[in-house]
Amino acid sequence: MSELLADDPEWADVVPIRQYEDVNPIAPIFYSEEYKDATDYFRGVLKTGEMSPRVLRLTERIIRMNPAHYTAWQHRYKTVIALKIPLEQELELMNEIATTFLKTYQVWHHRRLLLTALNSIDAAARELEFLKTVLRADAKNYHTWSFRQWILAHFNKEGRLWAGERAYIEDLLEQDVRNNSAWHHRFFVVFASGVRLGDEDRDQVLRRELSFAKEKIALAPNNSSAWNYLRGTLEHTNTPFSALAVFVEPYTTSQPPSRGTDDVVDLDNPPPSAGAQLPATPALEFMADIYEQEGGNATGKAVEIWKSLANEKDVMRKKYWEYRIRNALSNA
Amino acid sequence: MVSQLDPTPTDGYGTSTSSLQRETEDIITRHIPTQGTAHAELQKKLHFEFLLRNLRQGFPERYTSQDASQPWLIYWTLHGFSILGVGLDDQTKKRTIETLLAMQHPDGGFAGGPGQAAHLLPTYAAVCSLAVVGRPGDGGGWDAIDRKKMYDFFMSLKQRDGSFLVSHHGEVDVRGIYCLLSVATLLNLLTPDLLAGVPEFLATCQTYEGGFCNASFPGWAFEADDPEAPSDSPRTYDPSAPRPPLGEAHGGYTFCATASWVLLQPYIKLYPSAAGDSGSSSTPAINTRALLRWCVQMQGLPIELGGFKGRTNKLVDGCYSWWVGGCVVLAETLLGVAGTHESVPEEHHEENDEDGQKAWDDADDSLFNRKALQEYILCAGQHPAGGLRDKPPKPADAYHTLYCTAGLSAAQHRVIPSEARAKAVISAWNASQAHAKDGTAYAPSSDAERERLDELRKRIFAHAMSWSEEEGTAVYVGGAANRVNATHPLFNLTVTHSDGILSYFYGQTPPSRYANKPATK
Ligand SMILES: [Zn+2]
Repeated sequence: MSELLADDPEWADVVPIRQYEDVNPIAPIFYSEEYKDATDYFRGVLKTGEMSPRVLRLTERIIRMNPAHYTAWQHRYKTVIALKIPLEQELELMNEIATTFLKTYQVWHHRRLLLTALNSIDAAARELEFLKTVLRADAKNYHTWSFRQWILAHFNKEGRLWAGERAYIEDLLEQDVRNNSAWHHRFFVVFASGVRLGDEDRDQVLRRELSFAKEKIALAPNNSSAWNYLRGTLEHTNTPFSALAVFVEPYTTSQPPSRGTDDVVDLDNPPPSAGAQLPATPALEFMADIYEQEGGNATGKAVEIWKSLANEKDVMRKKYWEYRIRNALSNA
Repeated sequence: MVSQLDPTPTDGYGTSTSSLQRETEDIITRHIPTQGTAHAELQKKLHFEFLLRNLRQGFPERYTSQDASQPWLIYWTLHGFSILGVGLDDQTKKRTIETLLAMQHPDGGFAGGPGQAAHLLPTYAAVCSLAVVGRPGDGGGWDAIDRKKMYDFFMSLKQRDGSFLVSHHGEVDVRGIYCLLSVATLLNLLTPDLLAGVPEFLATCQTYEGGFCNASFPGWAFEADDPEAPSDSPRTYDPSAPRPPLGEAHGGYTFCATASWVLLQPYIKLYPSAAGDSGSSSTPAINTRALLRWCVQMQGLPIELGGFKGRTNKLVDGCYSWWVGGCVVLAETLLGVAGTHESVPEEHHEENDEDGQKAWDDADDSLFNRKALQEYILCAGQHPAGGLRDKPPKPADAYHTLYCTAGLSAAQHRVIPSEARAKAVISAWNASQAHAKDGTAYAPSSDAERERLDELRKRIFAHAMSWSEEEGTAVYVGGAANRVNATHPLFNLTVTHSDGILSYFYGQTPPSRYANKPATK
């Protein structure tokens, strides 16, 4: 890496172009010699439009020093296509770069372009596996998740690619029930992207998802991710919140109900765990929403809950809860 | 009151998210001053020196990662100065203009650096920077912006689903849409062709949580447009096909989508059935109540000093002070709760020290906790050596320095659309000037279309110009010495700078903002 292109006879025919020719730039970056050298030659190459194996090496060199250099990625992609480089080989080569720079947009976008051009189900399946290893290192990486969803959407009709997703999500939530990215992915798979194979019975899907969310809420009742999923599920299916009143009620009291060993467990309404810190704020909010939707006399009950949130249980959002009160009363 | 600093409940069920959360709460708690926040000080001088060092001496080598974001480095620094109330000398302005123009791409738009490809994000940063340092005329930078080519560049990025690529061979991303719409608004480049389908696209980026993600998937709804599909297949849009959001609700994207949505309001009203190629006739809509809920849910607990998070179950971070804290007023505006009431008596202004808590509550109509957000920025966001940051013990950087100070500004000042101001601007509207200044060479298909476009231009301009600070509602944690300048909630420029560049590119001379105010001493 340390050798400069300026000293390399292979590059002698390229005229390097300095970044600023006749401007004394404000706020300059103090680049390393290697970076300056590589980008000077890159500008030279861009000017002539050269696409060659050495240009591939040059773009890789720049990307390793600055993976956000979108122009280097752009030119690399054009070169890969022009030289008919086997796309699988390019994907392989990029694996290590992807894991090193997983927070960079361009890393994932390049893979997306390659997968689109490859148009191979096998490659997509391998990619999904590769993304699992990446998400093992960073379970909430935004671009990785976004890319995973793109792959599934792009190969929408390939049931085989989609088949393992719910089980994978359940694994991840087993490890960390507060992983909001995994919750979002579940919504993507179950609701946002149409009806998957085996999910044709939508009533059954709704029941399944509600029990799933309820079970996870019971485990950690203050987990907003699970509550948001529950709300999203109800809204998406136009199910009134009141359908869950019996479930939510115990989460709004300050004492978890005592659980004798011989109690009949109500599978539809799992109670809060023994360690639950109650009342859970998201449960109070949910209950107030039930009352607000009910309207009439119930509005007063919603207002009571919002008052307790505003003045005691969730004072950070005082202004918001007061707004909810004003809003409900003006609509009543 | 120790009870107020309860940690986030873990329900006796720890996971990696909750342990990281707990560690962060421990660190932040240690930054709560023992004597309270009433005297927390904004280290203006240190931040000024931090910015000046970056501008004059330059950025250390680790900023090589920003080599493709050079206009951003400049924008963060320049607007940082503006928020802190610092002007620049003519020589610095000249050098800055020359540096920015070196990044204008010969085929339109601005690039991340000289010789790089044009890209929507640096285009926004460069144009906003020119709004700060530029002016009309020779060497002023504004007339050197090739608007026709920029418009053509924008159109070359347009996708069938209404979205835009951020660059050729680049990705689709609502940040790019926001940057494009901001620039097109500031530079008078809006046309129905440019905007077709954009509202529909944005609406599909809202997730079940209420916030927005980075992009939705276009494929199924637009499958018939697939160039590889048999040519006899009907080129129609299937409105029933899902366009799923890719990625979860996120602060940065939520701000960009919401600000775009606000900017598009006049277009949505004037072109109700223009859904671009999508052929859909229903007016696109977002769930504004869910948006507001999501934004306020992102504000951390007292133990996190009320900083903002960027996603559910993630950590507070100073930059979301702007992206999410600054988004609340936009959601309020969409809900119609950001009242346009004018002129509370001026004396109300600075009575918020010592026993000022009461006055404060009366004055404060915002739906997030402005006081707490200021506390986070002042106590956790400032680096002791100057500059601002994500959270302790992280170093300061140029990006967080801007978005923390912009967030502080949004928490101090309530800037909302003023109907009176919009009316004043419209009363002075000169349609032929605005038309003559159009930068696109777009030719409407009929006289009626021309009139509709003129109307759009007028409403967009008047709306952009109408944002004003609501009198008597400023609040300064730590006292008025911590005051920073207000910033435009849509563009993140001071209104002086946005007024200036807007007026020039629409050929207008709007009445002064301060003309009809009673003189105060
Ligand atoms: Zn940040």
